[in-house]
Amino acid sequence: MNESLKRSLRLGLIFGIVVIFFMLIGFTNVAANMIGDMLGNIEQTSVNPELPVLNLVLFTGLMGLFTGVSATKKDGQDSWVQVLISGLIAGLSASIIIVGFILIVGSLHTQGVDFRTYLPNLGGNEIQYLMFYTTPLAAAVRFILIMVASSILGSLIVKSFSSGSTVNRALKSLQQKTTKKLDVQTLKSALGNKFILMGALVAVAVLMYFLPFVWGSYWNYIMGTVAIYILLGLGLNIIVGYSGQLVLGYVAFFAIGAYTFALLTAPEPHAIEMNLWLAMLIAVLVSTLAGFLIGLPILNLRGDYLAIVTLGFGEIVRILIRSDLLTSITNGPKGVTNVGQPFLRGQLFNDTNYMHLLMLLVLAGLFVAKRLKDSRTGRAWISIREDQTVAQATGVNTFRYKILALMLGAAFAGLSGAIFASRNQFTGPEDFTLMVSVNVLCVVIVGGMGSLPGVVLGAFVLKGLPELLRELSDYRLLVFGALLVVMMIVRPNGLWPVSRPKFRKKPLEATPDEPVEVEA
Amino acid sequence: MIEKIKKIRFTPRLILRMVIAVALLVYLTWRVVQVTSSEAVFGADTWLRFLISGLVIGGMYALIAIGYTLVYGILFMINFAHGEVMMLGTFAGYFVLEAFSAIPGPGTEGVNFLNAQPIIALILAFIVGAGVAALFGFLLERIAYRPLRGAPRLIPLISAIGASIFLQNAAQLLFGPQRRQYSNPDLLWRGTGWMIPVGDKSVMLTYTGVFSFVLSILLMIGLFILVKKTKLGKSMRAVAENKQAAALMGIDVDSVISKTFLISGALAGAAGVMWGIHNGLFNHYVGFIPGIKAFTAAVLGGIGNIPGAMLGGMVLGLMESLGPALLGLDFQIKDVIAFTILILVLIFRPSGLLGEALTEEKI
Repeated sequence: MNESLKRSLRLGLIFGIVVIFFMLIGFTNVAANMIGDMLGNIEQTSVNPELPVLNLVLFTGLMGLFTGVSATKKDGQDSWVQVLISGLIAGLSASIIIVGFILIVGSLHTQGVDFRTYLPNLGGNEIQYLMFYTTPLAAAVRFILIMVASSILGSLIVKSFSSGSTVNRALKSLQQKTTKKLDVQTLKSALGNKFILMGALVAVAVLMYFLPFVWGSYWNYIMGTVAIYILLGLGLNIIVGYSGQLVLGYVAFFAIGAYTFALLTAPEPHAIEMNLWLAMLIAVLVSTLAGFLIGLPILNLRGDYLAIVTLGFGEIVRILIRSDLLTSITNGPKGVTNVGQPFLRGQLFNDTNYMHLLMLLVLAGLFVAKRLKDSRTGRAWISIREDQTVAQATGVNTFRYKILALMLGAAFAGLSGAIFASRNQFTGPEDFTLMVSVNVLCVVIVGGMGSLPGVVLGAFVLKGLPELLRELSDYRLLVFGALLVVMMIVRPNGLWPVSRPKFRKKPLEATPDEPVEVEA
Repeated sequence: MIEKIKKIRFTPRLILRMVIAVALLVYLTWRVVQVTSSEAVFGADTWLRFLISGLVIGGMYALIAIGYTLVYGILFMINFAHGEVMMLGTFAGYFVLEAFSAIPGPGTEGVNFLNAQPIIALILAFIVGAGVAALFGFLLERIAYRPLRGAPRLIPLISAIGASIFLQNAAQLLFGPQRRQYSNPDLLWRGTGWMIPVGDKSVMLTYTGVFSFVLSILLMIGLFILVKKTKLGKSMRAVAENKQAAALMGIDVDSVISKTFLISGALAGAAGVMWGIHNGLFNHYVGFIPGIKAFTAAVLGGIGNIPGAMLGGMVLGLMESLGPALLGLDFQIKDVIAFTILILVLIFRPSGLLGEALTEEKI
């Protein structure tokens, strides 16, 4: 009893701090806006800057609900009264912190203090809104009421869904019924049938061919970015996911590919204007070569050292590109404009053509990555990832395979760099900051290291979803950072983890079922 | 000697390394000779200025590098978010100084507290800066690293990268992306200092520079005493040596690790406040590059080795400020020099200047 109370208290305090953090970074107002969009209670053209108070109530209630849900034990062993109390405690402790904040900020604001010099998200309007357009004290009472009520509600919801309750049992029986209908096995055997498989593939191909026409250029742009990130993710997946070498300077190869392509095809500064496809090939080759040359001295390093060295390498490439030293070659900070675009039947590539090209390349990349993974090389990589010393002892030439992984990864990056430059018709040093490397790393890790569907899923989640939630674009990197930490703690294998290959062996007969004693 | 040489197996990779090393040496000496022998681009005063700025910045690098080394010595992980901890210290010190410059001083008319009691204001700024940074170092370990203890080494590193990105962006969202200016007391106004005559010109030895350098040396001495003489230092060394054995000897390993993060955070925070006082302008991005540089310094001196981190910081600071001039390169290349040093050290002497050869497990 005492322990669960402490737990509720602690979680309540944490959630209180989180809510204040949301207020300080201006997320509360953004969220209220989004809720307004969903409910449709904000007129698009309204001159009145006041947001409806209902949205803030809903947002606070949502936070209180989370507080209550996380403060309650999920095993359902607590009685209803205990659950009620823990929800109450959590809601109260969260609201105490929030109320303290609101009282301080609100009363200072009414005295005319301007916070915006130091906390740009606490402007007058925002504070007014956080006070429900009333006095600080009245706002505090409202916060307490909303937080406590919703927190208790959250606790009760947890209790009613926890094991042993009637709702839980009803859900389980429902689940059993539906799984019978939607049997995975039937789906699998259906896909095993050649004709059905072919039919599905053709349908998907036709769909993919026509989608870019239907979408329009905005969606083509977004999906093109996602596709470029899938390609990058596939490449980095070979390095990080298969061979287990953490490379943080992956953007360097992307930059090298983009710049090689741009310099070979743009009229400025070299006026080479080479054939596009040849230039693309050269870009891939140059980044592969860069991968080889970089890998040669540094791939003997392990883990974290390799990460920092490659990070340094990525930064070196960017600094060199924009430095005066290489301006004559790379055009310095101005970047390269008018990068060449391919022709199709006498016409310049439009967004649909780019989308088709990218789709084809993604499919080809997936195919290559899949075949690589299942090959002898892939198994060598995985053995290096699992244990380098053992891999070496079993006769794997670790250095050779690691450098091969880096080269192949670099080739993917070079290809996507070339397309990136061509599609934007521009490439500049600021396209290649460390954040690109981090984004790609996130794609690989969130999806699941070494998992191909994971890369695709990760690219959609991390590059596609933020485009849908444009209001939240300011918070994207914040969420990325938090996501990396949380993923590592909660689900280090990613959203779509690789299924480990299992030994197929006959079950031993006559194994006595001895209970295994576990020491407490 | 000859016996030793005979024992070396000349693998292609070794030969390649030697070729790179010789080529680099030849190039570097050629550049240095060329720059120094041709008509002097820089006078003696300029060199002295480079030297001073190198020492000042080196002191800060050394303080941050100690944090990397302490954590690495105990957990064998790179605390990637360490630079961000320093950034938070810079912000905390900034807010303290801003608050003091806004309130009036005791008894005096028209003088704010900052100039009426500059010593107290500075001490408080450093205490708060170091305290906030220490707190965040502690929380960082609790939230992002402790649940991952015993996981494969890639996993805490990725978590650290995530924490670094999170803290950087949180600071940007909280305080805005614009650059801010530290308000120093008049006593330590930037751009004032002693003039040292060199030939017919003179070089300014800024007050902030001397202040930062002296303070960083004092903090380093303090840390050295802490690690060598106190019980906490002893238990830290014991945990670094062998966690299990230390636990068997009755040392609370978790609490020692927490304290290590507190200490390294406090040092980084102090370095952050120094950075602000000496350089003036800063924003949420202030910790990133110094963080990586300080890591380079830690590796240069031999990671896990505290005197090594101090030496590495100083050497790196000097190399950065003297290097571009010596090699006759552009000053934009400064950052490249640090990274190049990092790569070269890791290739040719992974154990660093002062580090002993580490076992595979620790590298």
